[in-house]
Amino acid sequence: MKKLIVPKGLDRRTVLKTGAALGATAVFSPPILTYAQGETPVKIGMHDPFTGTYAAEGESERRGALMALAEVNKKGGINGRKVELVTEDEGANAGIAAQKAHKLIEQDKVNFLMGAVSSATALSVNQVAHDKGVLYMVTGGHTDPVTGTQCHWTTFRICTTTYMLAAGLAGTLYKKFGGKWYFITPDYAFGHTLQGSYAKLLKGMGGTVLGNSLSPLGTTDYSSYLIKAQQSKPDVLVLLVDGQDLVNCMKQAAQFGLTKKFPIGGGLSELEVLRALPREAKLGWWTLEWYWDQPKTPHVKEWVAAYRKAYTDGSYPSARTWFGYAGLHAIALGANKAKSLESVKVAKALEGLELPPEVKLQPNKVYFRDFDHQLMSSEFPGEIIQDGKYPNVFKVADIVPGDKIALKDTGCKLDYPA
Amino acid sequence: MTRLISVGVMWIILILLPWWLPMIGGYTALGSKVLIYAIATMGLNLVLGFTGGLSFGQAAYFGLGAYGAGMTLKYLALSTPLAILIGTLVGGLAATILGPLVMRRRGIYFAMITIAIGQLFYFVMVRWNNVTGGEDGLAGFGRQDIHLGPAVIPISSSGDAFYYLVLLGFTVAVAIMWVILQSPLGHTWVAIRENRRRMEFLGIRVERYVWAAFAIAGFITAFAGTLNAMLFNFTSPQDLHWILSGNFVIMIILGGMRSFFGPLIGVIIFVVAQDYLSSVTGNWMTFIGMIFVCIVLLFPRGVLGIFNRRAEAI
Repeated sequence: MKKLIVPKGLDRRTVLKTGAALGATAVFSPPILTYAQGETPVKIGMHDPFTGTYAAEGESERRGALMALAEVNKKGGINGRKVELVTEDEGANAGIAAQKAHKLIEQDKVNFLMGAVSSATALSVNQVAHDKGVLYMVTGGHTDPVTGTQCHWTTFRICTTTYMLAAGLAGTLYKKFGGKWYFITPDYAFGHTLQGSYAKLLKGMGGTVLGNSLSPLGTTDYSSYLIKAQQSKPDVLVLLVDGQDLVNCMKQAAQFGLTKKFPIGGGLSELEVLRALPREAKLGWWTLEWYWDQPKTPHVKEWVAAYRKAYTDGSYPSARTWFGYAGLHAIALGANKAKSLESVKVAKALEGLELPPEVKLQPNKVYFRDFDHQLMSSEFPGEIIQDGKYPNVFKVADIVPGDKIALKDTGCKLDYPA
Repeated sequence: MTRLISVGVMWIILILLPWWLPMIGGYTALGSKVLIYAIATMGLNLVLGFTGGLSFGQAAYFGLGAYGAGMTLKYLALSTPLAILIGTLVGGLAATILGPLVMRRRGIYFAMITIAIGQLFYFVMVRWNNVTGGEDGLAGFGRQDIHLGPAVIPISSSGDAFYYLVLLGFTVAVAIMWVILQSPLGHTWVAIRENRRRMEFLGIRVERYVWAAFAIAGFITAFAGTLNAMLFNFTSPQDLHWILSGNFVIMIILGGMRSFFGPLIGVIIFVVAQDYLSSVTGNWMTFIGMIFVCIVLLFPRGVLGIFNRRAEAI
């Protein structure tokens, strides 16, 4: 029983080998760049998922932030000091994100934080940033409480709220097709919230909800819901299901010929998602938060060209790229305006701050609201081009200014230190 | 004697952690997280390593403890001790009540039913949106300073003070588990692991002992969960998900599931490797996987198993 399984002597050797392997990992450490003598660089810490389901979105945000970083440093940095970006992978896990936020603040001694794709990570880092008194620029993460009931003075948000997503699309669909809508909603919390927002908006505009089918997560057969939807003869069929469920639902809707009878509407879509969707599911009316093809807006063409020059993998900048870009620029603009690196002063300077045309890259006025720190950026509702080849996958119907659709009363009470 | 010395050295290292960890490029919150996960995995190891039950749903009790503590602070009362107490009771009682469902199963069926129960709680937290915050997680609460007579321990503002609270919790949990494992109860668990049928023939009511192991492990993991909720003042359904349960099992196997402090070593390897490698490369999971494969192949009894085996050979 107690005889050694491994030959004697191997133990020590393997221990040595393991040690060597661990030493080798140190070689992977990121190179530390040196800057102007005497001046320590200003550090911005970015957490985002670079692995897992949201890796593509996280990578887009990082690319945008790096583009902004190069521009800011070219123009003299923040208060004359170089800016450095430290990125950390959190794999869209809220606990890891909070841990990495601690790491960035305590170990890397960053002056500001930015990042987030998933809402849960935005909320967990929101908490850490507030506890530590560090300004936090949320790039993604749409859930309303970030700039609503759980808002903090430390937190600002680039991407729009869940409510704004619904509102941006609802108005366009209502104007174009009419007010009798049928919903197919995934039967869980987020689905209910989104459907609730839609129903409220629709009734506010004078429309009616013809029906709402709740489908369990992982449904493969949508025929019963689709038949019910067809019988109600709606102006618009709104599908709020997601992922593989959406693909299944779209496929069956097309088989039933419903997609030819009335328009299909959805919620948020993203360029990264549209690129990966199978043809069957590339249908209907959705909203993006930024689109690369804006022929009439100044600076957009140059910016897309700069992106394509920097990243030659054939990709185009998405809304996420813009979030990262605008997020880092906003921090620099705020700190330069405040002439300080203190989070309180920078936060005050950011309130009401309007993004300049070369940063906002969209036609409407884009600014941070002073009472909830939400950026008033636009929604880009439009239709998916089914046979469009990437990157021509979306036809923008309207660019809706954020401050026209955002709720005024978000339940936010900013808690500045006394 | 050597055991006493090594445990003493370990404690001195842990007490001095807030001083030396930042010097070698760490941060105190990482130390707190390691100790919290160590409590959880050492609790789970009572079932996994000592009783021989493959529990794959332990994160459920961890998460229930976390939600119990978070919701106490958010909705009930601003008291850290009360939050710890309620969270531990919620998670522990859930394990105690569900124990009878689990105790008769063996092997793969034990693993299946524990994972199923774990996912049940996960979906409760995801769907009960109004109260738990759903997928976004539970936020909007904060750990509170502890008042001991006239003295105030400032755990709300100081990460170091909170670390010492965690270390105190770790010490208490370790002492309790050590006493239990030295008692007839602990010896019966090991005997069940080694030969369950013989124990049945001896007239031991094996199921009751498995139930006891499962319940005690539940209480200890839930206690760790309460501390975890207060570490970042946040908890999310990911703290109940089977992926975390699986990670707990991996940590235990890395460190050695036959040794008392094995899980602590496994947690240090896993958490530190994850923290360090994920900052350096996007392919950090590959390295974790490689470390795991190497350890399973070369040290089938985990890292601490090497030392135990050597002691046995001598």
